[in-house]
Amino acid sequence: MTRVTAGVAAAMCLGGAVMLHAAQDRWTPPSVDRPELLYVRSPAVVKRAVLGYDAIVADVYWIRALQHFGEERLSPPQHVRTYALLYPLLDLTTTLDPYFSIAYRFGSIFLGEPYPGGPGRPDEAVALLEKGLTAQPAKWQYMQDLGFVYYWHLRDFNAAASAFQRAADMPGAPSWLRPLAAVTLAEGGNRKASRALWQQLAQSEEPWLSDAATLRLAQLDAMEVMEAWRNFRRQRGVTPPLPLDPSGTPFAIDPLTGDITVARESKLFPLPGQIQAPR
Amino acid sequence: MNAARCVAVAVFRESVRDKVFYNLVLFAVLLVGASVLIGQLTAGQDVKIIKDLGLAATSLFGLFIAIFVGISLVSKEVDRRSVYPLLAKPVRRTEFIVGKYCGLLLTLLANVIVMAIALYAVLFFLARGVPSQLQRAWDTPALDPALLKAIALIYLNLAVVTAVALFFSTYSSPILSAIFTLGIYVVGQFNADLKHFDRIVDSPAAIAVAKACYYVLPDFAKFDVKLAVVHGVPVSGTYMAATAAYAALYVAALLCGAVVIFSRRDFK
Amino acid sequence: MSAIRTRALSKDYHVGFWRPRPYRALDNLSIDVAPGDVFGFLGPNGAGKTTTLKLLMQLVFPTSGDAEILGRPVGDVGVRRRIGYLPENPYFYDHLTAEELLDYYGRLFGMSAAHRRARISATLERVGIGPERRLALRKFSKGMLQRVGIAQALLNDPEVLFLDEPMSGLDPLGRRDVRALMLELRDQGRTIFFSSHILSDAEALCSQVAIIAKGQLAAAGRLADLQHFAVLGWELVMSGVPAAALDRIRARARRVQSIAGDRYVIDLPPDGKPEEMLRELTAAGATLVSLNPLRETLEELFVRRVAEVGNGARP
Repeated sequence: MTRVTAGVAAAMCLGGAVMLHAAQDRWTPPSVDRPELLYVRSPAVVKRAVLGYDAIVADVYWIRALQHFGEERLSPPQHVRTYALLYPLLDLTTTLDPYFSIAYRFGSIFLGEPYPGGPGRPDEAVALLEKGLTAQPAKWQYMQDLGFVYYWHLRDFNAAASAFQRAADMPGAPSWLRPLAAVTLAEGGNRKASRALWQQLAQSEEPWLSDAATLRLAQLDAMEVMEAWRNFRRQRGVTPPLPLDPSGTPFAIDPLTGDITVARESKLFPLPGQIQAPR
Repeated sequence: MNAARCVAVAVFRESVRDKVFYNLVLFAVLLVGASVLIGQLTAGQDVKIIKDLGLAATSLFGLFIAIFVGISLVSKEVDRRSVYPLLAKPVRRTEFIVGKYCGLLLTLLANVIVMAIALYAVLFFLARGVPSQLQRAWDTPALDPALLKAIALIYLNLAVVTAVALFFSTYSSPILSAIFTLGIYVVGQFNADLKHFDRIVDSPAAIAVAKACYYVLPDFAKFDVKLAVVHGVPVSGTYMAATAAYAALYVAALLCGAVVIFSRRDFK
Repeated sequence: MSAIRTRALSKDYHVGFWRPRPYRALDNLSIDVAPGDVFGFLGPNGAGKTTTLKLLMQLVFPTSGDAEILGRPVGDVGVRRRIGYLPENPYFYDHLTAEELLDYYGRLFGMSAAHRRARISATLERVGIGPERRLALRKFSKGMLQRVGIAQALLNDPEVLFLDEPMSGLDPLGRRDVRALMLELRDQGRTIFFSSHILSDAEALCSQVAIIAKGQLAAAGRLADLQHFAVLGWELVMSGVPAAALDRIRARARRVQSIAGDRYVIDLPPDGKPEEMLRELTAAGATLVSLNPLRETLEELFVRRVAEVGNGARP
């Protein structure tokens, strides 16, 4: 075989392989809902397998967790968002790197998020945070986040107040935790206490955390406006015009209940408690 | 020890001529590439991830060099018989072993130093674009001097692995040496499990063997403070000193073992 | 004081993996080399020559017996400053140049930089390596590597030289150069111990030889002593021999052979009185071409002694 013949044969074989690859991709039907696979689920196994390169593998799992979350968030409306891998990936990340605080905090905010913003699993958020506290028992941020999960998602105001209290007792804790504990205990479920909590979180340096908090504050403002509108209608017997919600989109009337509600196109949709996850 | 010094310099020069240091190019490409690409992916964790990547790559590349060059340090000279004219010169066999070891250690030192400089350079450029307010929220500063502690312990880790590889190289073929050295490295990472073998198995004999292995085999997990350093958990001077002493003792034991084997070896 | 001395030096190797049996590579070798001698260590392949050299260089350790160089036991590091060694089929370091190799060895001897430079130039020149000294050794031919090998053996101006097959890999010109070099070194008063299986080199160079076969010493001593000095016969070559004389010659000669026309080789027995035959044939009109006594060559001695060892005889 001459060199030229061999070179041409090589190019042709490679070209053939490439074309076959592309063709196989076309033949396989596109599956939108193919479940994502996580080959190794057990954090204990992974920790042993990485042979001392824990931190960098934790980073890889963190990136995957973010990507998974983002993909689910941005998927088309007909896709059922399960966020199935969010907790396993965050669990793997934090087992490999127990000090990876952003993973715990991200989990605390978004694991408890009800459908469609998150998997709606506040129990997983609690488990993750408690794991973080085992590794770093004096980290007040985790205790504060625990309080937040009890408050906002589990609606257990006693547990939330106790968590805020314990956080306030930890070294380095900011001064606003103690009054927050008190307010939670006294008026848990009250919008005022919730607003105080979100206002603190809105000042965080983590952009995604402060953005989430700002959104919540806007939603609280919307709920205030909606309540004022209902009161006005009840007292005057007249249906007032629909104002603009804090994000600039006008409110809407729910056709089923006749009640004021945030419009679907609004950035503030859905308000907490508005949509149920499909079973 | 003039002879040992000559042999060490010869090993270093051979590493250069064998283009071992080209691994630094790959290292640089990896770090720079990662720092460019990860910005979008990580929700503000760039600096942490670059530190993790830099330390992991320093350790991994160094490990490859320590093992692949280490296993043939002695066996190559013996197989090629260049050891014949060498040992006819006024060189004791002990000086030969020590010289070979120090030569590879020198190669690894140069490698690790350049990698450390590259890592700090990349971190410097990465941190330049970030406002100081955000920087204060980080667990550790970008140009954290504590990274040097992690790097120093990585180097000591490599020193022990090199000694293991050299020890096997005195009488084994390269393939066997590689298998043994890698095997010891892997078991050394699982040291914690060996200590607690009684949680997994019931047989007292197995537990006793595992406990013996835990104490006798080198505990490579000691040298890994990468997590602590990146998250600002302090690593005490005492820990560094104790670990360094452990490394020194282990290396000395292995080198003496190598001398025992090599001193009476017949070169057929 | 001997330059080199061995006493009952023996080496067993263990052959076989499962039940190793000892293989006696060298059996009770006792030799003595005086300073200034050129000692030829001869034997067929696999006889134990290289094993002996390795034992002298302490590359292998003896099973029993001992050896001394310049009065010191063989492992002594100090003595290595005064010896040079050329291994068989030498291999050095591919990535170094000839100069760098000698510089490395020179540093091991503890030579100062200036001294090293001088010695490197001198030795490379002496072995005939010129501009190639800056080439990497991987580019060297076998003959050139052999020359580098000799250069590194000479680097420290040694009193005793150990050369294992010094002529191997050299073309006839190279061998002539090395022979000349060895004679020069002998004239400088150095002791040379070399092993070879090429007997003509030994005949030309050695004052003493030892013949070794199957690990045993078959013969040792001065070359002249070993070869039977007795004449084994005469070889008379005459031209212009008249045909009439041939019958008379054949009666007294062991063999008569015609080589060209009227030129004959006449093989006479030891008591064949070649002078008489010469006078007779000259009177008959023939011309003398050559007259040589036949003595045992080194090769014949070698073959005889090796065969004796094979038959279990002791020297």
